Amino acid sequence: MTIVWRTYPLAVACAAVLALGAASPAHASKERFVVDLVNEPSSLDPQLQWNPDSYYVYRNIFDNLVTRDDKGEIVPQVAISWKYLSDTEIEFELRPDIIFHDGSNLTANDVVFSVKRITDPKFGSPQLGQFDKITNATALSATRVKLTTDGAYPALLAQLVKLSIVPKAIVEAVGKDAFNLKPVGSGPYRFESWQRGVAVSLLRNDAYWGTKAPFPTVIFRAVPDGATRLANLQAGTSDLGVTLDADQAGQLKSAARAQALIGLTERVAYLRLNTTKPPFDNVKLRLAAAYAIDKDGLVDGLLGGFDKPVSQLGTPASFGWIGGLKGPTYDLAKAKALVAEAGPAAKAEIELATAPVFDQRIVQAIQQQLGDAGFSVKIAMSDMASYLKRSQAGPEATSTLSFGRWSCACQDADGTLFPLIHKSSGWSAYRNPKADALLEEARQTLDKDKRLAAYKQVQEIIAAEAPLVPLYQAAVIYGATKSLKWQPTPNESLFLNRMSWSD
Amino acid sequence: MSAVASPRPHPRQGFGLRRWWPLAIVALVVLAAIFAPWLAPYDPNQQNLIGRLKPPGTVSRAFHYWLGSDELGRDVLSRIIYGSRVSLVVAFASVILSGTVGTTLGMIAAYRRGWTETVVMRVVDVFLSIPAVLLAIITVAVLGPSLVNVILVLALTRWPRYARIAYSQTLSVATMPYVRLAALMGAGATRVLFRHVLPNIIGAVSVVATLEFGLMVLFEAGLSFLGLGVQPPTASWGSMLSTGRNYVATAWWVATLPGLCLFVLVLAVNLTGDAVRDRLDPRFR
Amino acid sequence: MPGFLLQRAGQALITILGVATLIFFVQRLTGDPTYLLVPETATRADIDALRHALGFDRPLFIQYLDFLADLARFDLGQSVVQRVPVTTIIASRLPYTLMLAAGALTVACGMGVPIGILLAVFRDRAVAKIAAGFVLAAQSMPTFWSGILMIMVFSVLLGWLPPSSTGDIWNLVMPSFALGLLSMATFARITRSALLDELSKDYARTARSRGARMPRLLLRHIARNASIPLITVAALEISNLLAGAVIVETVFAWPGLGQVTVQAILARDFMIVQGVVLMGAFVTVALNLLSDVLYSVVDPRILLDGAR
Repeated sequence: MTIVWRTYPLAVACAAVLALGAASPAHASKERFVVDLVNEPSSLDPQLQWNPDSYYVYRNIFDNLVTRDDKGEIVPQVAISWKYLSDTEIEFELRPDIIFHDGSNLTANDVVFSVKRITDPKFGSPQLGQFDKITNATALSATRVKLTTDGAYPALLAQLVKLSIVPKAIVEAVGKDAFNLKPVGSGPYRFESWQRGVAVSLLRNDAYWGTKAPFPTVIFRAVPDGATRLANLQAGTSDLGVTLDADQAGQLKSAARAQALIGLTERVAYLRLNTTKPPFDNVKLRLAAAYAIDKDGLVDGLLGGFDKPVSQLGTPASFGWIGGLKGPTYDLAKAKALVAEAGPAAKAEIELATAPVFDQRIVQAIQQQLGDAGFSVKIAMSDMASYLKRSQAGPEATSTLSFGRWSCACQDADGTLFPLIHKSSGWSAYRNPKADALLEEARQTLDKDKRLAAYKQVQEIIAAEAPLVPLYQAAVIYGATKSLKWQPTPNESLFLNRMSWSD
Repeated sequence: MSAVASPRPHPRQGFGLRRWWPLAIVALVVLAAIFAPWLAPYDPNQQNLIGRLKPPGTVSRAFHYWLGSDELGRDVLSRIIYGSRVSLVVAFASVILSGTVGTTLGMIAAYRRGWTETVVMRVVDVFLSIPAVLLAIITVAVLGPSLVNVILVLALTRWPRYARIAYSQTLSVATMPYVRLAALMGAGATRVLFRHVLPNIIGAVSVVATLEFGLMVLFEAGLSFLGLGVQPPTASWGSMLSTGRNYVATAWWVATLPGLCLFVLVLAVNLTGDAVRDRLDPRFR
Repeated sequence: MPGFLLQRAGQALITILGVATLIFFVQRLTGDPTYLLVPETATRADIDALRHALGFDRPLFIQYLDFLADLARFDLGQSVVQRVPVTTIIASRLPYTLMLAAGALTVACGMGVPIGILLAVFRDRAVAKIAAGFVLAAQSMPTFWSGILMIMVFSVLLGWLPPSSTGDIWNLVMPSFALGLLSMATFARITRSALLDELSKDYARTARSRGARMPRLLLRHIARNASIPLITVAALEISNLLAGAVIVETVFAWPGLGQVTVQAILARDFMIVQGVVLMGAFVTVALNLLSDVLYSVVDPRILLDGAR
């Protein structure tokens, strides 16, 4: 036998690797705070991409015009104060003491430049739709900016929470591509390096004007597999992991090193019924579907009770939430009766569209619950690109039923109700002129009471006609080392300077 | 060291039964798949949310979970029995489809030569130059995941392997005197290929096929892992394994049991493949 | 000879063109990445505007010609999602892919070859049976399953190895084993048959009959002759390893090309997929061409056959 080993020193080397494997445990230290994302950021230019893995990182490099505090209120960041000059004009007073990471001052010119850059159709920002109501931006002085909107635009401030301010001089000097590779902002962290595919590393900005973060260096890594993110937390090789599910949070309960941090978001899970196709062209069958879904059962049975059942299409985290509103509640007998009453019309096969990113346990449980009521539901899972395309194809081409989780990233009912209901939107599979008129009205006034009154009526229409079935306010679950103190916010952002160590 | 003293192996006599027990395992799985409705104690898709992730032997509501329950309270035993259908159908169908297409094209290319050969072998080159896994993922993403599409995609990505082996084997067989004679005596191409050439190359092709069979079972599992397998809630060993792996630490039975089944099936198929190869390759007899 | 070379090069070019065409059109069958790029609240007009800005509203055939024109200048384009040249992305990922392939090859060879020898030398003994079982077992497990088991045992339970990502050499151990064990069977099989071949040849039998001891015989004579088929297989197996790495890289968060390609496929980031697939095809075709040329230099008979 010995010859085998002598002939193949390679094998010996392998055996040695195996035997000595115990030598080097890699632990994340407090100097280096390691965050496991799902994928690496698409872009670090804050005006080029709005997806979680990108903004988790770049929102720490840049300041926004305004921001939301932990309670969800819109509060000053770059702008200290603002006042409406008219329905279409708003003036911002800027902080004078903000300094970009290169040492230059942040001025009104940078704000104007940032607005004009992201609203320029030629720039091709995917976020154009969030800001294209802004028709003009002018610097009134070094610290005063005026924005002009196309008509009254109530969601303006909510959108400006996402407007990162980029330095005009640097962007113009280095150009778009170079800025993406080496972003310069004014936030609590400055960009250090991006080892593409491996990690992005940020250094604390010790000259930051606001609250400073507790970690000198932060490393963002891409770990696509949820089970691996969990293992990293358990083994202590990461300090924070995003996107865990309730069962994984349960596993962390008994973990020695890690804990689950849970927060309710502005994201609402819903079923969208295609009101132009059988069986859901019949309002009674739509209501039957609404009665058939046991939201509490889903939340308590599958989601660990972290998410919160809702009876209107929205969440308490957003403007436009109407307290005490009632919708159809779980009543299997009623659902069965309505299905029986409709006779063969109810038997039409229902295609339930979904994508792998959604929780497949929920989708399958919904299929079962609708099946129990007498519907025949088939799950049609496709990859995200196909799902999105099909979902926005309009009533004629879209699926009979689809599951989704909606977030407008603006915490305003307009961003949820308008796209899902109004006939001008590709997402809508419902035609109701009255609802459309109410939505338009609410979108065109700055009067909060008028808006709330309109949204209340829209929610009542949804409850009565069931074009959509609101399911639950989604929770977001992070895994973190035991000693991290942090309250996840409804806008699913990961502001490092709001975290702290508990000891 | 006396056994080593005779390097020339003594010929094995016929089909030793001992060598073919893996085939019995495959047969067992086939039987389980066929008779699933009679063997499975419960509907494999019937959920019981209050009986989630219960260990083997638990009784909950109307269920007695012999092998435990999964993340939706479904009976793992029933799902394993039904799941054998998907794994087998995917593997069988894709191997037969790709084997037939590949072998036929390979034979024709080698027999016809000229333009046919150029076109077929260039296409084979194109397919072989793209990693099969990637091509499979791209096409499933395009076609949408479903049982039929998974089979089609696997066939689409694997046929060039058969075409290549059939091509090279046919090239040598076609020069044999009796094949030439048959052609000279006016036998049509189809007749020559299927009567004279095919019987000579089928051995080599079937060795590839058995190897591919095990690979296809694993491929299906891999596609499930990437969310591109058969549609939920259909049970397949691959999809059970890929969802169950999230519960490795807390509910080992959800993934371990289908994983074990998958493992034993692939092992049995590979062992059968080895037996076939040894039988056909005179060197090892 | 030049004629033959020219013909082979022409064939290689046609293959590359075929791969490019296939990958271009198959990907575009389900539209473009626009829907994935915009936020949920984007209106139809927003979506159309972005599609126009990205150039996906042009006729498909024009886009195809554009792509070919770029390709002819060896320009693989820019990632639609990351807005970085594809060559940059490939260049940053390639080292990790090569590291993983090397690690896996080490495992596959380091274990497969000794086991193959065991199988050939001890033929029907229990030792060989157990070894054969081990080889087949390693080949019969999906990597996403064996991978997470390894992580649970060696990282979470024992704390010996880091669970994922890059760092030092220890990060490479588990991915290499997860991937290498799959190919181990191939090496064991080839070694066994090559050895049996050599053992049955006259020189080996003569040597044995003259009392040469087995270890000496293996070391002195057989190893050299039997290693030729082994090297051929190793070269072939490398491309298999690269492809098989897709799932291993995902499980272990290893930043190789497989992981980035799967993500790009799902994100409809056409340029990255095209770039990686074309690069892979180029390498495969070039290796084939090279081996053809080498063979024809070594053995002129093959030239006749190849040039028919």
